[in-house]
Order: sequence, then C-alpha cells, then structure tokens
Amino acid sequence: MITNELDRLIQMANHIAAHNDFHGDTTQAAAATASHLRKFWARAMKESIIRYVAEDGTALSPAARLAIQQLDNPQPHTPETR
Amino acid sequence: MIEIFNPKALDPNKDYGTPPSLSENLVTLEIDGVNITVPEGTSVMRAAALADINIPKLCASDNLESFGSCRLCAVEIEGRRGYPASCTTPVESGMQVSTQTDKVAKLRRNIMELYISDHPLDCLTCPSNGDCELQDMAGAVGLREVRYGFDGNNHLDACKDESNPYFTYDPSKCIVCNRCVRACEEVQGTFALTVDGRGFDSRIAAGQNEDFLDSDCVSCGACVQACPTSTLIEKNVIDQGQPEHSVVTTCAYCGVGCAFKAEMKGDQVIRMVPYKGGEANMGHSCVKGRFAFGYATHKDRITEPKIRESIDQPWRIVSWEEAITFAAERLKGVQEKYGRESVGGITSSRCTNEETYLVQKLIRAGFGNNNTDTCARVCHSPTGYGLKVTLGESAGTQTFESVLQSDVIMVVGANPTDAHPVFGSLLRKRLRQGAKLIVADPRQIDLLKTPHLSEAIHLPLRPGTNVALINAMAHTVITEGLEDQAFIAERCNDSSYATWREFIRGEENSPEKMSQVTGVAAEDIRRAARMYAGEHNGAIYYGLGVTEHSQGSTMVMGIANLALATGNIGRDGVGVNPLRGQNNVQGSCDMGSFPHDLPGYQHISDDQARSRFEAEWGVTLDHEPGLRIPNMFDAAIAGRFKGMYVQGEDIAQSDPNTQHVEAALRSLECLVVQDIFLNETAKFAHVLLPGSTFLEKDGTFTNAERRINRVRKVMAPLGGKQDWEVTMMLSNALGYPMNYNHPSEIMDEIARLTPTFTGVSYEKLEQQGSIQWPCNEMFPDGTPIMHTEDFPIGRGEFALTPYLATEERASRRFPLLLTTGRILSQYNVGAQTRRTDNQVWHDEDVLEVHPSDAETRGIQHGDWLGISSRVGHTVMRAVISERMQPGVVYTTFHHPHSGANVVTTDNSDWATNCPEYKVTAVQVEKVSQPSQWQQNFVDFRDQQKALLKQAREDGMR
Repeated sequence: MITNELDRLIQMANHIAAHNDFHGDTTQAAAATASHLRKFWARAMKESIIRYVAEDGTALSPAARLAIQQLDNPQPHTPETR
Repeated sequence: MIEIFNPKALDPNKDYGTPPSLSENLVTLEIDGVNITVPEGTSVMRAAALADINIPKLCASDNLESFGSCRLCAVEIEGRRGYPASCTTPVESGMQVSTQTDKVAKLRRNIMELYISDHPLDCLTCPSNGDCELQDMAGAVGLREVRYGFDGNNHLDACKDESNPYFTYDPSKCIVCNRCVRACEEVQGTFALTVDGRGFDSRIAAGQNEDFLDSDCVSCGACVQACPTSTLIEKNVIDQGQPEHSVVTTCAYCGVGCAFKAEMKGDQVIRMVPYKGGEANMGHSCVKGRFAFGYATHKDRITEPKIRESIDQPWRIVSWEEAITFAAERLKGVQEKYGRESVGGITSSRCTNEETYLVQKLIRAGFGNNNTDTCARVCHSPTGYGLKVTLGESAGTQTFESVLQSDVIMVVGANPTDAHPVFGSLLRKRLRQGAKLIVADPRQIDLLKTPHLSEAIHLPLRPGTNVALINAMAHTVITEGLEDQAFIAERCNDSSYATWREFIRGEENSPEKMSQVTGVAAEDIRRAARMYAGEHNGAIYYGLGVTEHSQGSTMVMGIANLALATGNIGRDGVGVNPLRGQNNVQGSCDMGSFPHDLPGYQHISDDQARSRFEAEWGVTLDHEPGLRIPNMFDAAIAGRFKGMYVQGEDIAQSDPNTQHVEAALRSLECLVVQDIFLNETAKFAHVLLPGSTFLEKDGTFTNAERRINRVRKVMAPLGGKQDWEVTMMLSNALGYPMNYNHPSEIMDEIARLTPTFTGVSYEKLEQQGSIQWPCNEMFPDGTPIMHTEDFPIGRGEFALTPYLATEERASRRFPLLLTTGRILSQYNVGAQTRRTDNQVWHDEDVLEVHPSDAETRGIQHGDWLGISSRVGHTVMRAVISERMQPGVVYTTFHHPHSGANVVTTDNSDWATNCPEYKVTAVQVEKVSQPSQWQQNFVDFRDQQKALLKQAREDGMR
C-alpha cells in the first residue's frame, strides 16, 4: 500500500504509460502519456513528477520517464479580477 | 373532425383506457355523432376518450393492455349484434358507435349492482373517498339500488394484509378487476401477483398466497397505482386523508430521473405518484422514489448551522451569517497560510445542476483554483473519458424508450432491476417481447431470471477481466467478418479503424486465449459476439461494473469500439448507454465539476472557452487542471491541502480505503460540510451547514439519457435556505459576489456559456416538460438520439484497448475476490433510505459466499465473517449464495457500520482515478467480534452524536 504522495504519482504515471502501450513503441506511448498528464494532472502533481525525473526518475518505466521529460513546467497563475 | 396522432400531445392526467397504437395508418369512425381519426389498432374506448367521450370503465387503464373483464364499457355498434366491450374492440373505418343508449345504460347499472352487492358501503369512512373509480362509476351509471341485498355470500370479512410498510391490501374492497395483477406483469415485470381461486372464490394473491412482504413483491407501487378502489392503498392516505394539491417534480434517487406528482396537503407530502407525462418513467416507479421520501422530514435532519474550532469539540449552533463568516474566514486563513491551491471543494451529484454549477464557479472564480471534483470521480468518470475519446461526447447515446426497439441487449456490469428499477422494468418488457439478452457479470443478476425471457447468455467473468472479454468479442466480430463495413466506411476514422483492426485481430485477443483470463468458455464468448453483431439492433447498457476498475476507461472505449464496429450507433434501438448511479451524476459532470473541464466538457486549457467564462465571471481563471478527489486526499496527508467545501456528498463513507480518507479529513484545518444529515464526512467537519432535499428547492436534474428535468419546490427548506442560496452566501463572504434571485437565472448563465445548452431555459422546460441536451441552434428541441448524422469529433474513433490485468490479484494470503454492488431497497450510502421503512428489506449489509468457499472455511449461513484485504479488516454476516462463481464474494455498502470500504483498496482507473471498488483480494474467516475499525467507528460515532445532541440542548437553553 502506498502512503507517500510521490510514490503514488510514480505509480499513476507508470500505469498511464502501461495502458498506452503501442506494441512496445516507447515514443508513441510517451507522447500519449505526456498528452494525458498535460490534460489531467494538477500543477503541483506535474511539478512533483518533473522534479523527481530531474533528480532520479529510476522508478518510472522508460515510456513514463520519456513522457515526463517532454512536459514543460506548468506556468504559475495569478488570479485577478477583470 | 378530431385527429389525434401524437400520443405525446395528450393530457398526462387523463386515463384514455387503453394504450396508444403506434400505427401510421389512420382510421376514421363516428362515435356519438362525432367524427374522429385515430391510428389503426386504437380501441373504440380510447378513440372515444380522445374526443372527450368518456365511456364508463373499471378494468381498463391506459398503461395496461385491454382485458375486457368488467363489461362496464359495453357500447352499441351499428350493424353488430350485442354489446361489445369498447376496450377490446379496435376501431374500423366508417364504424358508427353509440356509447350512451338506454340498453347499455341498463346493462351498466346491472353490472354495477352486482359489484356493489359484494362491496362494503362505507364510502364516507373509506380512505379512497374522493378518489375511487368504483364510486365514480356507480355515480356515472346512476346506480340507485341493490336489489340483491347484502346478506348472501360475500367477502366483506376478508382479512387485511398490512405487512408492507407503505401500503395495505384489503381484499374486502376488491372487485377482482385484475388491474394490479396486470400492472405487476406488464408494467413492473415481476409477476408477483395472481388471481387465486375460481369464480366467487377469486382473490388477488401475492406469491404463493403469502403476505405481500414475504412474497416476490418489490413494492414498486404499480399495483397501488392501478387499483380502482381502496383495496391497495398507501398507508399515508389511510392515516392522513386525500391530498389536496400536487406538484410535478423529479425523483432524487437514481439516474433514471422519474417524474412524480408530489401529492400534498399544505406543505406535507402525502404520497409520491409517478407522473405519466414524465418521459423517463412514463408513469412507473420503484420502492425508493414512490415510497421512501420520509427521510425529508426525519428527526435527524440538520436544520441549524453549526461551527466548532476542532472536531473533538461540541458544536455551537449559530446564525447563518455567523457560520458563513466563520467558514469564509477560515478558508481565507488557510489560503493565506498554505497558498491558493490548498483549498478545494466537492460538488454534489445529488444536488441540482444550478447548485453544482455554482459550487464549481465558487471554486474556480472564488477560491482561484480548479480543485473541484464530484462523486462521479468514484463512479462514472471513465464514461466521461472513454466516450469523449471514441464518440466525442461524454454521455449515453439513447433515450430509455429506445430499448423497446432493441433486438439484442447486452448488459455489462450493471444490475438494472435493483439499481435502475424503472428502466429495468422497461428492459424486461422488451425481453418479454422477444429481444435476446447477453449479461456479462460475475454475478447471476435478476435480469437473467426475467419471466418469459427468450434467448439469454450469461458470461460469468472473473472480476477485473472486462477488457479481456470485450476484446475477445470484438476479435470474433472482426475475424468472423461480422462487422458493419458500410457504417465503418461512412462514419468512422479510417486510420484509427485500420490500426485497431490489426490490434484486435491479434491472437492474444482471441476468445480461446482470453478464456483463460476471464474464466468464460471461448464458445460462449463467440456465441455472444455473434448474437450481438447478428441482430439488426444491438444495444449495450453498462454500469459501475464497467467503470470501477483499474481499466475502467479502457473498457468504456472497448464497448464503444464494439458498437462502432457493428454499426450500432446513431438510431433507435442501439447505442452505448451508461446507467448513471445518482440522480444528477450526468448533470454534475455536464456542469463542470471535474477539475479539468469547464461546463459542457470544455477543457480548462482551451483559451477560447476559458476566456468566455472569464468575461462572464469577471476574473481570470487558472489554466491548469486542479486536484481530483483522491489527489486531494493524498495532498491533505502530505500537508499541502488544508480546506474543503463539500456539498451533499459523503466521501468518508463512499470513497475507498476509509482509513486513508479519514486520515486525510482529520488533517484538514477547515472542512465545511453542507448536508441534510450528520453524515460520516460531517463528523470531521468544522462547519456544518443545513442542506435542503429535492422537495425543498427549485432547479433541474439531468438523468442518464441527458434529459434535463425540472425539480420543483413543494415545501420550505427546513434549514431556511436552498443549497444554491448557501453557496451564494459563502461566495459573497469570500469576496466573490454572486447575486441570483432564482435558479432560472443560473440556468440562463449556463446556457450562455455552454454550447450544448444554448437553447435550454426554464421557459422551454415548462413548454416541453424536459429537454435532452444537446439543445442549441442545430437541435432546437433537444437530442433524443445522439450521433445520427455524425459525431461531435466528426468521425467515430476506434481506441486501442490492450488488456492489462489489475495489480489487485488473488494470492495465497488473500485468495478470494470481493466485488460490491447495490440492492433495490437501499440507495448508495443509505443516508436517505436507512431513514425510511425500506429498512425492513435490508437492514444490514451481508457477505455472499459461494457454498464451496463456505464449505472449505466451515462457514454456515448467518455466521460472523472477518473480511481482510491488504488495507483493512471488517466483519459482516454470511449469506451462502450460488450467484457468484467459486472464488468470488459479494457485498453491498449501504450501511456505514459494515465498513465495506474499509477493505476496498485505493487502486484506481489509469485514466481517471476512478477507484477499483469491484475487485479486492480478500480472505474470509469466521470471527466472534467486530473489527477494530468497527469498534473505533462505534466509539467515534457515539462521540459525534453526543456532541450534536449537546449542541441541540445548548441551543434550547
């Protein structure tokens, strides 16, 4: 059972990559995974996993790691009244 | 001349005697000198009623096939001998009918005289007084005397059956018109009632002459509705008398969204009667919507705002203003201390569209982040994802009525007769008419026991192997050449089809290979695939047994693939149909509850869409998605997420891995819960705001067929405010102004911002009764069947759906697979139904164990069983059942004390994080005491109840 937030993110990223397996084509799998993460992960989750890949990244599958390397650090948001 | 072709243009409050004929051939006849044109096959009785010529009747009702037993509707027809029954006589061209002649008048009086000679003459004290067809007919035929007297053989002393908690059966008042028996068969499809005995001894009997409660009766109320006398009547009417006014509204239980007339005395609901004008239910109901509304006035209702500094302190009853100020200041304080993204909220799939919309607006515009989610996360989020990818819209494709055109119906991971009972009855009706049935489910569901079922295949797959099964079916379709090539060429994306075709043809997807995974014989999978692809109209209905898996989204796409490949999309009788769990799951998703989706499934990163919202809302919005519910819990435990606003959703009971959820909730510095009861989540709250039930507010719900139905206020909110008013107050206190005077203004704003809702307004809802979205310039009256011409994404997309087993596997330590489900009488976490007499049917959750698994463990029926998984342990009573395969155990989660979710894990769907409720590896053994969690649960519950009680007493002083 996973209790640590980062471990959970790693598991989720691996899970997404595994379900987007294009007959083992890592490039395609990474592209699909990256697109998924961009669309559905919150800023803090993206930041954590990007930081993890920069520092270590070994617990990620090759496709997941490649996907996260393709992510840009999310832009900050400052709410303002228009 | 009167011409009536469209049955939907009729008065839903009038009984036309026999069902409409759907023939397109028209016939003109003359009734009492009036010319009338009706569809061929219409009865004389109905044709007359359409011209407002109302022939007396007792055994006829327009929701039942004509029966011709009472003979009261006899008429004279020019050129025919005798007095034919108008209910069983079809119209003919040029027919001349006389409904009121001296001869038929005498005949009718004689018939009534016989009826009344064996009927109590206690009209003044009878509960049906004022609402009795027998009384009306006695009046209509002019009955003045009963020459036979009342001393002969009669049934006046027959015993009442009061076993059902909601209605009484008094055989002394029964005229054996057979309407209840036919309603049970034709409308409900249960066949629980029969006429027992012959001639004078004929009596209505439940089951094998049992009490109603002990029989197969499912208490749907169809018989009570059908009864023309007070033989079957609601106990509420017996106790309180006839209602004096009624309001049409929408049921707040499951995703069928039945229309009801709330029949009232002042502000008291006397009974809920299914409304014939409601297109989702067409006059039918189930035990929950029909009878289980008493929770609305239950003594446990929270009616006063309460606050406290920490969860071990007693509540303080305060004014609305003080509670809202307290909540706003705390939430602001949390954001100042931990950052803008440290708070979030959960919208309710039980509340109205307008309320849900406001909560997500408050979060996005007021909190300034996208940390909004809804309970669809834990039920149908994979539907949203999977159908959007393949069909281009996150919704089911059909109307419920469409099932009446289906030739083969495949039900996957759903149990409609329990969880969506009114649709289940419609489905059964089609099965009795001869449609074939395929059920893919680890359990033998009741649909497989439908009386008069024709051909049916049950695929009892192992939990967690849906994708393997659907791929094997698609493999069969493609390799045996059963696909609809014309449809694929015309409607689908060529390249995605070619890629998918190559993938699905692979040997790894063959039924033979996959049978080792699914446990279903290859030949059965092939037979099912041939059956589904071979009939003209194939429809798929699915439920949470599809979505609540680690491959839930893949399975939804697999279902869409199969429907596309066989051309089963875009017309009546086909389609892909998610059966939604809660009344407004569809609506809460539509209204932008998901962290990545603005209302109408417009992605938050879409600059164009976002800027329209920014202009309307007057703020800039975060372009990144926010946290989903499970992410919120993880972030809370990690210390980054500290405040939550939860409206009408009991995450502490309904979400998996309860101990993890509880740890997350305990770590919050501000939890604001708005609910009708002190639910499990509220026990961790700092602010408790009274919620309002569906009876106490105006708004709309959207059902599983995308139908927007009006909810109408019939009584004042017990806490003084409707839920949308509370959200507005909180938003204003947080400094983001909201000023709506009525939910219709909120709907107008939704219509301005949501391309699929541009034509929706309360005015249009009043005119049409309901609207199925999309409703816009292209579809001004709404869209009953989707994707008839093209898809919102142009062409249908085939998605690759490789089968990847869940990590949750049976092992030596946990050798059984636990799967969970629902039961008819209870609803979801049970907060509502547990506070009604529905408890008589199911007052505790039990564990169903296969006899062979029971035998090896020495388990007997009724033993206490400890159930352990990798995450937790709980205790339930055993029921020995052969509904599942050996190796699979089953339970429900309607009672918090059972702790079903203490054992479910936090595994989840890869795409949406929808929890894998349907597969948990467990061990089961006999025990003698409740689990540690249950003991703690009782202690904590008692503590929180005491704190609530103390607050009430303090409030009284």
